[in-house]
Amino acid sequence: MRIRAAVSAALASAGILLAGWQSGAHVADAGKAAATTSAATSSGALSGSGTGGGAGGTFAGSVVQTRFGAVQVQITVKAGAITDVTALRLTDDDRKSAQISKRAAPVLRAAVIKAQSAQVQTVSGATVTSDAYLSSLQAALDAANL
Amino acid sequence: MNPSLQMAVPAAARRPPVERFRGQSRSRMLRADLLAVLAWASVALAVALWLADGGAAGVSTLAGSFTALGIVAGLAGMDLVLLMLLLAARIPLVDGAVGHDRALEFHRKLGKPSLYLLLAHGILIAIGYGMAEGLDPVSELVALWALVPDMSLAIVLLGLFISVVVTSLVAVRRRFPYEFWYAIHLLTYAAVLTAIPHQFSAGALFAEGTWQRWYWLAVCIATGAALVHYRVLEPLVATVRHQLKVSRTVPEAPGVVSIELTGRHLDELAGHGGRFFTWRFLSPGTWWHPHPFSLSAEPALSGSSGRGRLRITVRNLGHGSAQLARLKPGTRVAIEGPYGLFSTAARSRNRVVLIGAGIGITPIRALLERTPFEPGNATVILRGHSEAELYLGEEILELCRRRGAALFHLTGVRSPGGQSWLPESAVRSGHRLASYAPGVADADVYICGPSAWARTVIGEARAAGVREEQLHYERFDW
Repeated sequence: MRIRAAVSAALASAGILLAGWQSGAHVADAGKAAATTSAATSSGALSGSGTGGGAGGTFAGSVVQTRFGAVQVQITVKAGAITDVTALRLTDDDRKSAQISKRAAPVLRAAVIKAQSAQVQTVSGATVTSDAYLSSLQAALDAANL
Repeated sequence: MNPSLQMAVPAAARRPPVERFRGQSRSRMLRADLLAVLAWASVALAVALWLADGGAAGVSTLAGSFTALGIVAGLAGMDLVLLMLLLAARIPLVDGAVGHDRALEFHRKLGKPSLYLLLAHGILIAIGYGMAEGLDPVSELVALWALVPDMSLAIVLLGLFISVVVTSLVAVRRRFPYEFWYAIHLLTYAAVLTAIPHQFSAGALFAEGTWQRWYWLAVCIATGAALVHYRVLEPLVATVRHQLKVSRTVPEAPGVVSIELTGRHLDELAGHGGRFFTWRFLSPGTWWHPHPFSLSAEPALSGSSGRGRLRITVRNLGHGSAQLARLKPGTRVAIEGPYGLFSTAARSRNRVVLIGAGIGITPIRALLERTPFEPGNATVILRGHSEAELYLGEEILELCRRRGAALFHLTGVRSPGGQSWLPESAVRSGHRLASYAPGVADADVYICGPSAWARTVIGEARAAGVREEQLHYERFDW
């Protein structure tokens, strides 16, 4: 009886783990593809950073490392005002972090443009991303002398 | 060779007698095995949730490996904690398949592994996250506490959980009164609650919009619902429905008293003789103390709508039990139960051997009253230091006479060294279990008594060829 239970438990567990592994491999492949594209676009944006200076132009902030990946933002300044914030890199180590970033970035962008500073509230449930976002932003603001 | 010579015995005589408990026993074993498989599969599933999320991809870096191991440890640890709670939830499906004491034994066995897994979870995550951010694990823990919502609660949980496991260890437990241990144990429920928020908010695996989130939520809610239903609601319903009151107390022997109770709908409890209930006598000074006692007789019905009497027989074991001899008639009684498998529900064979020692004789008495057997198929063995310690001896003698069971009174001092369950005189005469019950290898063996004594009986029964599904014993120490 005990042997029957042990064997079926081992088989069931192995099957479940294998199924998990299989579907996980697909997710990882998709994630890798997404990561390469985002890396390509961000490097493209980086080349354009640092142009302008003084009153207007785009300024890239520092790269902030977090446990969920690197974060870097770029601001567009016109006549001494922040007109746009683009995230060059966002926490995307795994699918869930990417999901959280996708949710937090627009909220932070809107808040920053409204406040015209890095003094905005962090997004709940995305504290780590928010903190990194805002400290990269502060570096960008410093570079723009705002 | 002439085959007809070997057919000399009539076929009918060779056919074994109808085994009416075979099916019941097989289905019980099947349910027990299924539950075991489900339990293990749930641990695998917890890890598979993470694998299916592409978690294994994070193992490419050293920091990622620490974090990944930490997440897996946390998932498996929480799954074990949920299993522990389910095992302690008094779910009838579990109780009926493996029995109350066996369920609690598994519950106890999972304590240390789940503690180690949760500790590893905290430490590995702190190291993994710390490495990714260039912090040492301690600063990382401090940062997590301060920055990430719900993490402070989760870190508090770890402290609570360590204290629960330490206080539950048998060696430590003996030094504290039962109530202290019980209060600490209740803290685990609080601890588990405090751990849940961070799994959904900080844990990326259970972020909004994932199927994993729904699975984990369902499992957590189901566990909580089972606990509330079977440990709170059912006992309340049973207490209100049966309206038990103490009618009188009868001294049976020095330090041993039978408590008789009247109540309603007791017909629903028929057939549960030998199983135990948790009793609370609702009078000042005793109401907070739960006592696990078996019925020492089947419910005796005397009126319509199941009105009748229940009886328990208790020995002055501890401070709480001492007060029970002085219970006033009319005291209301709250009950939980019946629990355990010390009943006909556990039978697997036609023959039955009932072995009781000391106060453990009382559930044997209740079982003997109703469990089915043909005359000559039952053996009752009672063990005590003296005849006076064979409680309810006269009732048992009468039942054995009426039902056709063999009865043995084994009295006298223990054999030196405590290696045998028999009195010294019986050991010297070379008696064994099979000397009293020759058919024991094909019988259900019910054993009730002090745990050290019961272990020696169980050992001898196994040696005599009794298989696991034929062995039934109830432990009385918590």
